[in-house]
Amino acid sequence: MNPTRPTTEHADEEAVLADIRAMLLTLLEEYGEDDVEIGTTTTFNRDLELESIDLVTLAGLLEQRYGDRVNFAEFLAGMEFEEIIELTVGRLVEYVVHSLKAAEAG
Amino acid sequence: MSGFLFAVPPLVGHINPTVGVAARLAARGHRVAWACPDPGLVRRLAGARAVVYPCAGVAGVERPPGLRGPEALKFLWERYLVPLADAMAPGVRAAVEEYRPDVVVADQQAFAGALVAERLGLPWATSATTSAEFTDVYDGMPKVAAWLGARLDELRGRIGDPAGGADPRFSPHLVLAFSTPELVGPTARTGEHIHYVGPSIADRPAAADFPWAWLDPGRSKVLVTLGTANADAGGRFLAECVTAVRERADRVQGVLVDPGGTLAERGDDKDVLILPTVPQLPLLERVDAVICHAGHNTVCEALWHGVPLVVAPIRDDQPVVAAQVVDAGAGLRVRFGRVTSARLGEALDTLLNDPAHRTAAARIRTAFRTAGGATAAASHLAGLAAGEA
Repeated sequence: MNPTRPTTEHADEEAVLADIRAMLLTLLEEYGEDDVEIGTTTTFNRDLELESIDLVTLAGLLEQRYGDRVNFAEFLAGMEFEEIIELTVGRLVEYVVHSLKAAEAG
Repeated sequence: MSGFLFAVPPLVGHINPTVGVAARLAARGHRVAWACPDPGLVRRLAGARAVVYPCAGVAGVERPPGLRGPEALKFLWERYLVPLADAMAPGVRAAVEEYRPDVVVADQQAFAGALVAERLGLPWATSATTSAEFTDVYDGMPKVAAWLGARLDELRGRIGDPAGGADPRFSPHLVLAFSTPELVGPTARTGEHIHYVGPSIADRPAAADFPWAWLDPGRSKVLVTLGTANADAGGRFLAECVTAVRERADRVQGVLVDPGGTLAERGDDKDVLILPTVPQLPLLERVDAVICHAGHNTVCEALWHGVPLVVAPIRDDQPVVAAQVVDAGAGLRVRFGRVTSARLGEALDTLLNDPAHRTAAARIRTAFRTAGGATAAASHLAGLAAGEA
């Protein structure tokens, strides 16, 4: 893995939320949208109306940013049907922060 | 000569493709019949003399219009597809016992057809009227696939052969997909028994009168439709489409299908025509672009005529079909719930001005028209009945 913008700073929730918000805006901008509010309680399904095919794009953006320190595929693969339906931005932020801390510790 | 029983849900888009196939089989001297919870609907589409065995269905399932994505999928399975299979099973079984077909042709979403055939030891084919199941969008979410698999296993225990193991969505004998790999894309499921026959487009009884003289030969024409099953959610979207067309009235005319009557009509409007139904196939011969919800039938009918599309998927298979259109280069995707008239207009301008999308749509048109359609489907089914598959 060769992330284009390696992060060396300490993983903190605010920074990760800002990263993920930017990724989601990139994703939504492909559809010509730029005025979407995204916070930790925003849901992928109901609020952003993201489809499973959009998650593939998001996986690519996460990999560009964090390299192999964050395994989005594994995150999704572990989720129950209900959890996927209820998935929020906050839950993803939590997972990313947790993964980055684990990578720092390791 | 052989007998074929088509097990279909009471849904126009699932019955229509079987009508052409059944007609080809009958023309070769085979016997054809349907099992469906709505025999009247089959007779309306296939002709008053069609042999239809009634079965029970599920009534009054209203999906909240706001449901999307995986939530809509779960609702569809729990509240419609699985109960439909339970309800249809006794009628399908009775139809098989009375009609004695050689092959059951089971719609991909009418699980009862497949499971009953398996239980009775009959060869069965899958009729896949949408191609979305052929790309594994939930591939990366194994627990979703496991959940769906568990529902099918329970269902098999109730209405099928508990010792059987076939996935009722994919017959191990024969799968007829009414699309082609040129549209489904490089990740399409393949196999010796999977046949992409292209759309089965049959002439339909003419719908309401259409004011053909209204169409202005000096302007581009766009057809806006959300299909037959989405009247609940379309008001905002259709209104944005009207605005986008009006802003281009010097060069574009729009025909909007509005079955729910959500738009206000103006009298004597030379730019926008709003109708509850339209004769879609003849109209597609005359339009330059289609704006739609990416329903499989509308998309295939547009591409059958080489017309590029703006696709605004709402739910179910529509996001997958929309992605197929975009990946094939035959259209642009916008977001149904959020798109503005400005963005719709830009997408429309791109389709009308840039020949690339029209060229890609024409490529799919060629693929569709050489795939064999209903005739090829009938040949594969006859082969299965004759034990060649």
